[in-house]
Amino acid sequence: MGIVGDLLKTLDQMVNDQFDSSEFKNFLAVPLTLERGRFYVVQNALYTSNRRDCWAYVQGGAPLEVKRVIWEHESDELINDPRVSMDHYALTVKQGEVIGLKPEDFEKAEIPSMVRACFYAWHHIAMHNHWLTAYTASHMLERRNNGKIVKDGGMSYRVGKKFENELGINLKRMISLDVHVVADTEHSENISEMFERYVKTAEDRDLVLKGARDSMAIDRAYRGALG
Amino acid sequence: MGASDSDIEALWEELVRLCNDQISTPPFARLLSQKFTRARAQQYSIQMAYYVQNRRDCWGYVQGSAPLEIKKIIWQHEEDELIGRKSEGKQDHMTLAVKEGEVFGLSAEAFERTARLEGGEVCFSAWIRLAQRPWLEAIAGSAILEMRNSGELIKGGSLSYRIGEMLQRDLAIPMKKQINNAEHVVMDVEHAHLLMQVARKHAHGESERRAIVRGAQESLMIDRVYRGHLADMLEALP
Repeated sequence: MGIVGDLLKTLDQMVNDQFDSSEFKNFLAVPLTLERGRFYVVQNALYTSNRRDCWAYVQGGAPLEVKRVIWEHESDELINDPRVSMDHYALTVKQGEVIGLKPEDFEKAEIPSMVRACFYAWHHIAMHNHWLTAYTASHMLERRNNGKIVKDGGMSYRVGKKFENELGINLKRMISLDVHVVADTEHSENISEMFERYVKTAEDRDLVLKGARDSMAIDRAYRGALG
Repeated sequence: MGASDSDIEALWEELVRLCNDQISTPPFARLLSQKFTRARAQQYSIQMAYYVQNRRDCWGYVQGSAPLEIKKIIWQHEEDELIGRKSEGKQDHMTLAVKEGEVFGLSAEAFERTARLEGGEVCFSAWIRLAQRPWLEAIAGSAILEMRNSGELIKGGSLSYRIGEMLQRDLAIPMKKQINNAEHVVMDVEHAHLLMQVARKHAHGESERRAIVRGAQESLMIDRVYRGHLADMLEALP
């Protein structure tokens, strides 16, 4: 297996290990109530906004060809996902209707302090690191949501199933979670292709691994903060 | 609460004045007084491709910090620049820059193997730093360069237009063959209004309007240094 093959295998292991961490286990073990479900959906919209910040920063630092790939990626997220005919932030707000949330609930939402710290940490990686590190940090959050890679399903799938099992809301009605089960699989595959083009040396590989490690650490802290 | 129309009007007038003043500053005057030879046109064309790349870096950072609805405007702006309006058969601006190079006798490889001007590199870093500042300063820093390139706002013509005229005069290359210059002469008229869209919605108070002017002034300062380096480069070439 070449340098990229080994690297991708390591990244796959890392996103699977994420679900064995105490933070992820605790987060996924908290029983959902309607109030907790509302809290999660609002926080997930803020997380989506933070993703938009970070991907744009990554676009800023990346080579031209990669900028184009990210621009296309942001088409679904920021402008319009043809699967649902709206952008992903609007999708999250729309999803909120199912559990009684109004658009104002999203507008006036406060970011908990530990979550805020995680958002700033992701900003920092995206803005102040080598582009391969920054790119990987954002990519890993979609890889961690890719059900083809994560055994027993990615994060959106598992949370969607909690809404289904614990609140009796079918995953299909949680439209944002449902779309991300598919969208992040596609996104993580498209984005992953760039590793084939740009990872040639051990130094490149280490830059990728740094981004992966740092982002997964923040992701654990983030899930810990939400749990 | 939005700013009053007169506040926004005053801001707009100030920004347009800054852009017009820019053209008559010594570095710009020196750049615009050059005579183009083929060698000079080639180097200028390559360095402008790097400038276009730096714009893509900066707009990415600006998009990152901007509120969601402004991110969408910037994303659409970047379609023209980074992707091209495929539905209208228009190419992205980097492809245009390389294609324009052909009329000066440049190959695509020439763009790849020619280094950035040292002074340009420093200016590009400065622009990136500005793009990473609080978002109103950052967006003003990037948008002002398109206002400065708008023939609608600049008396006597934008920078792209003036350079295009010089290339036509000195090398007999008609503007329509300078496809990158010609595109920017048109496109930056349209893009120049982006900052006012932002100001109407977000420049509620004096501090926001001051942030916009501060970002614009700083960017124009870097722009003057950059144009001075380009003038030095041209003067050093046969």
